Amino acid sequence: MSDTLSRRDFLKLATLGSAAAAALTGCGTAARYVKRQPYSDMPEYTLPGQSTFYATTCQDCAAGCGLIVRTVEGRALKVEGNPNHPVSRGRTCARAQAALQGLYNPDRVIGPQMQAQRGSGAFGPINWETAITVVKDALQKTPPAEIAFLTGLAPDHVFDLVSELTAALGAPPPLRYGALGMFEARHTLAQAAAAVFGTPGLPVFDLAGAQVVFSFGANFAETWLSPVAYQRAFGEMRQTQDPLHSRGYLVQFEARMSLTAASADEWVPVTPGSEGILAQAFARLLVDPAADIAAAAQAAGVSEERLLRLAGIFARAERKLALPGGAALAQSNGLETAQAILALNVLAGNLGQPGGVQFWLAPAVGQDGGAASFGEIKDLVDRMNKGQVKTLFIHGVNPLFELPQALGFAQALENVSQVISFASFFNETAAQSNYLLPDHTPFEAWGYQRTSSGGEQGTLSSIQPVVTPLYDTKSSVDVLLAAFQLLGDETAPRLPYRDEVAYLQQAVAKLVQQGASFTSNDPALFWTQWLQQGGWWSSAAAAVNGAVPPGLTVPPPEYHGAGEFYLLPFPHPHLGDGAGANRPWLQETPDPMTTVMWDSWVEINPQTADRLGLKDDDVVQVVSPVGSVNAVVYRYPAIRPDTVAIPFGQGHTELGRYAQGRGANPLDLLSLRRNAAGDLAFAAVKVDLRPTGLTRKLARFEDRVGVYGDGKK
Amino acid sequence: MPPLPKFLKNPLVWLGALLLLGALAGGAYVGIQAVQAAPPQPFPYVHSVHLQSGIQCIYCHPGVLRGKSAGLPTLQKCQGCHNNIDPAGKPALEAWADYASKNKTIEWVPVAIQPDFVYFNHNPHIAAGLNCEQCHGDVSKMTVAQSQGDQNMGWCLSCHTRQAPEKQVKLTDCATCHK
Repeated sequence: MSDTLSRRDFLKLATLGSAAAAALTGCGTAARYVKRQPYSDMPEYTLPGQSTFYATTCQDCAAGCGLIVRTVEGRALKVEGNPNHPVSRGRTCARAQAALQGLYNPDRVIGPQMQAQRGSGAFGPINWETAITVVKDALQKTPPAEIAFLTGLAPDHVFDLVSELTAALGAPPPLRYGALGMFEARHTLAQAAAAVFGTPGLPVFDLAGAQVVFSFGANFAETWLSPVAYQRAFGEMRQTQDPLHSRGYLVQFEARMSLTAASADEWVPVTPGSEGILAQAFARLLVDPAADIAAAAQAAGVSEERLLRLAGIFARAERKLALPGGAALAQSNGLETAQAILALNVLAGNLGQPGGVQFWLAPAVGQDGGAASFGEIKDLVDRMNKGQVKTLFIHGVNPLFELPQALGFAQALENVSQVISFASFFNETAAQSNYLLPDHTPFEAWGYQRTSSGGEQGTLSSIQPVVTPLYDTKSSVDVLLAAFQLLGDETAPRLPYRDEVAYLQQAVAKLVQQGASFTSNDPALFWTQWLQQGGWWSSAAAAVNGAVPPGLTVPPPEYHGAGEFYLLPFPHPHLGDGAGANRPWLQETPDPMTTVMWDSWVEINPQTADRLGLKDDDVVQVVSPVGSVNAVVYRYPAIRPDTVAIPFGQGHTELGRYAQGRGANPLDLLSLRRNAAGDLAFAAVKVDLRPTGLTRKLARFEDRVGVYGDGKK
Repeated sequence: MPPLPKFLKNPLVWLGALLLLGALAGGAYVGIQAVQAAPPQPFPYVHSVHLQSGIQCIYCHPGVLRGKSAGLPTLQKCQGCHNNIDPAGKPALEAWADYASKNKTIEWVPVAIQPDFVYFNHNPHIAAGLNCEQCHGDVSKMTVAQSQGDQNMGWCLSCHTRQAPEKQVKLTDCATCHK
């Protein structure tokens, strides 16, 4: 520096100068950094900067919640519940919120593909013309008896159309299956309802109107039947507007504290499989308060005093309700348990009453035979093994992930000459298909869904595209119809529908004169209203009469395996049937009870863990008679010491970057033991734990020091 | 009076400081000119010709009647008239015809733009009887639209505070424009 200007003064001046320059030149408007591109051809109803809202139906589980999707300039941006829809009433669950990540998922199948050798992963693109010819040839050249259709759990238009198609061809009817249906033991519940009420189908339990609710493992705060509807009803039950009545009282009987149990007034950790015995004991006490319940108390592992106190609460309530949860029904005595719990409702005198058991009449559209039982799926696998299925069509379900490994679906698939998958993602089953003909994802698709398993009314919920399809996908119904039209003059007229929308319109037209939520003499106007309002709903309910089945006794549960612990697999509250595992929002959302993210865990009572020398984050091998999986230990104080629980939803080997190679699938542990209704007794397996000496840190949201006092001096 | 620091007695320092101030003032002038001038557009669109042909603002920017954003005309809307106009020999029209033949839209650079924390809505302003030129100037005399000075909060309020007293509660509420 010179003598006249010191370094310090130079720096001062330089700083001042650059600050002034920055301030003066940086004051430009944001315009410098923005570009605006108009449409070349603007879609109808679009106004730049304005949101357009479309009503549609969530298809991430079978509950059928009505949604309103906000779109801006042709892009879906936000999902909310449809306030008028009788199932969701303006609410949604986490899965619906994350449905956008199905639409924008980077691992979507973006066009029709085929692979010469199944499982090789060497998919090559084909065009839709070829794809339709493939489907046509499959329908034409395969003997009808050797065609099989497997569809998802939802009673939707795909199932109805495929039912009509198979009937027109003389092929076996499609099977509706999904892991959530298995976890809810839907078929068992429907069978029990047929025995007790004489009405096959899923009853609706009016939680909102009940005063005391005994829930036998019904996890309505997570996934059970129609979780959004039941959670809303639960809120209403707790916040009764009637000042003369106290708030509702919920008692949850299950071996592990679920989110529902955590929300309940009392959680009673009962021995898995004892729920039906317990329900019968409560029924006896309702009739005779001096009845002997010592045996039931012992079977459930609960003190007699507590049971008597609870029975007193139940007996005194004016409006009482008993809920049959999935795990209680998925035991060797599941059907009897379901009947016993429904019979408790009969004795409680709540049939058809507010706060009781109701049956909504499903809209008179399509044929609904109910979800397939596990037994029916097993029959399909047996047919596949015998080579009696030449062409298998799979839509909306991922059987290689959602069925127990012990069933051998993978091996059976090898005997099927042609597998055609309509999956939108490369899931485990799609990877084993010959042809992958991707359907639109729900926000790009047309359709309807019947919902009568929850909510306030029976509904035909509408599904309409909220955005134009992003990729070269095609509606599976359109593919099937196009292929069917090529079958020749004799066969083609049996399905007289031009395309998917024509099929939907003729179905919806059946409701035009039926009154209910809205009515119109003009089918075109009715159709528009149906789309705009998100569906059509009716309060028409079937009369419910019931009687306790004579001679009903619940046999003691039987378990498969000689392991030390009862195994309780339960559907992950967010990932559901596992299809949610490719949504990062759902992976990142902490499990409500353990706060674990992005992984599977095995819940073990700290007493048991101490005895086995297991610490948090230890990897343990869970061994059942049919298989084993490795999972990370989570010391969970709210589980019986004789029970371990593993969430279902992780353990994918396919399904894209967010899902693959993460956690374990507890279905690998299940044996094929079934209950009397033919459903899988998934909660009737006993397992052993074998420490592996490895550790893997779980990603957890909670603070172990604050919650469990870990690491405190 | 305390003696001046020694280095200030050197006339070269004074000269240097003077030069620096001059440079800063010049820089500021150029900077302000640059940020206030209309930004360069990818396409030589001329507003004046269109307005002089009798086309109303809202024919191309109908969004003002219904919503927040005025909107930009789609290529189809341009074609409605330009399909009947021969572009030959007119470079701007030829350039447009090139866009149209490729079904390619033009990436405009906005001229009047508010920061992200301002929730401006055209519709109530039009509904209140304002004309476009009251905020955007006389566009019929402009080629590329020119920015109209400081469209800042003081400018907004200078009009909002002149409205009828019963409207002022809403019109001067922070949350009306800053949600």
